[in-house]
Amino acid sequence: MIKMREYKVVVLGSGGVGKSALTVQFVTGQFMEKYDPTIEDFYRKEIEVDGAPSVLEILDTAGTEQFASMRDLYIKNGQGFLLVYSLTNYQTFQDIKPIRDQIIRVKGSEKVPLVLVGNKVDLESEREVPTSEGKALAQSWGVPFLETSAKSKHNVDDVFAEVVREMNFVQLPDQKDACCTCVIV
Amino acid sequence: MRQYGVEMARFTSAKMNKFRRKLSSLGGSTDKDAVVSKIELQNRRLSSISANGMDEEKLIVKGQLIKAASLEKLAMLCVDCFDDAGELQDNPFFPRMVFLMHKWFVPSEELAALFINLYQTRDKSICKSPCQHKPSDQNCRLNRFKTRVCYTVRSWISEFPMHFDLDPSLAREIRNLQELTCKDSANNHKLLVDISNLPSYDWMRAVSVRNSVKRSHKVSLVFDHLEPHELAEQITVLEYKIFRRISFSDFRNYAIHGKLQDNPRLERSIMLFNGLSLWVQCMVLSKSTPQYRAQVITKFVNVAKALRQLQNFNSLMAVVGGLSHSSIARLTKTASHLPPEINKALHEMTEMLSSNGNFANYRKQLSECKGFKIPILGVHLKDLIALHTALHDKVENGLLNIRKMAQLAVVFNELIQLQSTSPDIEANMDLINTLKVSLDLQYSEEEIYELSLAREPRESASAPPTPIPSEKPVFADWASGITPTLDSDTLKKHVHAMVEAVYKNYDHDRDGYISHQEFDSIAGNFPFIDSFGILDADHFARQLKTFDEVKHVDGMISKEEMKMYFIRANCHALSSGFRHDFVETTYFKPTYCEHCSGLLWGLIKQGWKCRDCAISCHKHCKELVVVECRPRGSVSSCPQSSNTSLLQDTDTSRATSADEQSSPRGTERRRQSSRLRHLTPVHQSTQTVKDSGISLMDSASSVNLNMEYNDDEVFVDEDVGSLRDRLRQSEEARAKLVSENQTLQTELASAHDRIKLLQSHIGQIRQHTVSFILDQMDILKMQRDTEV
Repeated sequence: MIKMREYKVVVLGSGGVGKSALTVQFVTGQFMEKYDPTIEDFYRKEIEVDGAPSVLEILDTAGTEQFASMRDLYIKNGQGFLLVYSLTNYQTFQDIKPIRDQIIRVKGSEKVPLVLVGNKVDLESEREVPTSEGKALAQSWGVPFLETSAKSKHNVDDVFAEVVREMNFVQLPDQKDACCTCVIV
Repeated sequence: MRQYGVEMARFTSAKMNKFRRKLSSLGGSTDKDAVVSKIELQNRRLSSISANGMDEEKLIVKGQLIKAASLEKLAMLCVDCFDDAGELQDNPFFPRMVFLMHKWFVPSEELAALFINLYQTRDKSICKSPCQHKPSDQNCRLNRFKTRVCYTVRSWISEFPMHFDLDPSLAREIRNLQELTCKDSANNHKLLVDISNLPSYDWMRAVSVRNSVKRSHKVSLVFDHLEPHELAEQITVLEYKIFRRISFSDFRNYAIHGKLQDNPRLERSIMLFNGLSLWVQCMVLSKSTPQYRAQVITKFVNVAKALRQLQNFNSLMAVVGGLSHSSIARLTKTASHLPPEINKALHEMTEMLSSNGNFANYRKQLSECKGFKIPILGVHLKDLIALHTALHDKVENGLLNIRKMAQLAVVFNELIQLQSTSPDIEANMDLINTLKVSLDLQYSEEEIYELSLAREPRESASAPPTPIPSEKPVFADWASGITPTLDSDTLKKHVHAMVEAVYKNYDHDRDGYISHQEFDSIAGNFPFIDSFGILDADHFARQLKTFDEVKHVDGMISKEEMKMYFIRANCHALSSGFRHDFVETTYFKPTYCEHCSGLLWGLIKQGWKCRDCAISCHKHCKELVVVECRPRGSVSSCPQSSNTSLLQDTDTSRATSADEQSSPRGTERRRQSSRLRHLTPVHQSTQTVKDSGISLMDSASSVNLNMEYNDDEVFVDEDVGSLRDRLRQSEEARAKLVSENQTLQTELASAHDRIKLLQSHIGQIRQHTVSFILDQMDILKMQRDTEV
């Protein structure tokens, strides 16, 4: 018996970094014929990570970056987060930090499952953010880092798999904590 | 595996249901038959895709079966949808979709030119008989074809009259067509393509909302007195007026470029949305006790309910977003005062607007709503962007992607229906003007959250780790597209309208002045700016002196003064005399805001201090300060303020070394010490007066100067008078030094106190830690013992 776990993943980042492209690439894959982003199950996708099948519900925040209070609701609702910047635009990389601050503030915890994503790796000639900087930032937060290309389908599935791992990983210590308190009480 | 299968089955059936629901919603103004036929067509298409491939030219059956087509073909297909009497055949949805959506792909005049081409066609294949093609000949097939072209154009005109009113080059093309019909002396054709009697869509050109009819009946403009439904109605009117201005090309530009630059109408709408959310949060947080805050929340929940009834989902989202924002949601004390039914209602509305299942709940409710409704802008913008990302405008052989056109049309129908409907609400322009100014808040999320923390501090025991705000104006940066500052002209206009409204409703004796009490009640609508109410003698007199109107310092406010105040408060200081050079400052004693007299809260960087005149204020007040900037160095008439500022400076200079205490006891100590400090300058000045009777104008900075003078020239001048003078000066300097000494000693004492307190804290923490470790060891021992 396989139990399907459901995860809510929110894709965040400033405008124009390719959040939609990444999401669309991941959820549609080969079924471009049935493309309709207004139906309920459009952003649901099954993914098998480390042998365990699970269902992801992805919230693409493209187009709503400017709506401040919606962002807060999104974060409240999400379990895992992809923080996307465009490696061809340094400003979008700098925008990432305040987004993480907000996530931590809303969630009230530093241990939020998230993955740092540098998108548009296909535009190597226009790169403004060196891989090392992305890596360093991710390291300082203790989160995985990947460079992707929604256009050439590079690493797209991997970032979603990675965020699932993060969600599994971050949830584990919580359960341990629960056990501990039981013992003490 | 069985569970997996069931899950999949559920997905599929849910998908089908959603699909059907969506299809039934896209009808809009088209009738049921069209929807049904669309479902059938879609199903047929899905089943025959592989057979059909991309070669659309051969398989056209009119309507949605087309995957891609050239623009010429599209125009032809539209004409084919009409019969000789101008009635729509087969697929009524198709021409409307083309009229609506062609602008995504090409300028309107291109489509119009194609209709003209069709009208001019001399294609013999249409009418083979030896016919003269005279306009009067009802049997001539070419003639009948021309009539159908004209019916097509007429349908376009009647469906989207604004296209023709707003697009001069399109209007020119259509007039060309009309001339052609004149040449043909085909009067019936000429009438069909007439665009001279279109309604004006001037309102769509302007960014701001024009004031229409002024109502004469009186209503309360005070937030506390406003009925929730009344507030909801007027918010809806405002929302409607701003939302419906967003044009097709505004949406298109945003979906394609994702930027708000050069998109003022969309930007205005988003500003209103964010302003509403912020206003809700500010109104709640402006109340000092949990009970009051709970009352405000209750009121806004009722406003939200009313918004739902009005089918204004966009404002509903903004209000609910504000109420469930983390800065409000974290207020547990406030939440405990909320009635359960309010909690329940808020929860239900949050569920309804939740992003779960791709906003499934919201989409369902929206599709069930009939008549006037305002959709959530953000959700549909998101759909547009997702569609645009996934589908290309053209397919590989250069044909237009009609599938994309059809799907975009579904979203657009939702967004632009406001241009043709209106709410059944009587607009109250006075209230709307007041709202407009109230909603124009300029706080960042960070500031609101800090305020929330100040209202109900974290409980230290379970405090989650706080992210230390790395750089300061973070969120403002993120939403960098928006500049929520209005230009001064717009602002003046808004303020003018609002002040007029206020006077109409509150100046009961019609003498052109309102009293302080009345003003206080109005000021309650503006969270944190309600300090206008404390337009006490000090601020106000100074302001009035500048304009030689001293006679009204009796607490009466005239229209002009109020306007001036608002404009000055909002515009970044109109004259340079009011411009302060503020720097963020950390205070080590309770300091009060010059503008609103409120405490500068927080541990570090509590407020902003002017480098020149050393007044202090909140970050959000610093733009509003109306006190003139009088630099310390110059001889001023207020020595006390410059003395205090000197003390503040010594405080600030030690900022780096001092540790601050957040415990209530610490704050109390500091408050005491500051009280002592406040006494010192007073003491010093009385001494000065007693000793020499010298004027109070000498500022602290001149003391040093005097002392140098004493040291260098004491033996040169033999004149007794000057000696006496010098004696007096040195005595005065001594007095000042003594007072400074006293101050420093008080500070030293308070610093000692602080150290003691810190030490006791360390002791406590040590104790706690040790006892905790001991406890843990005990438990471990017990466990081990039980195991053994």
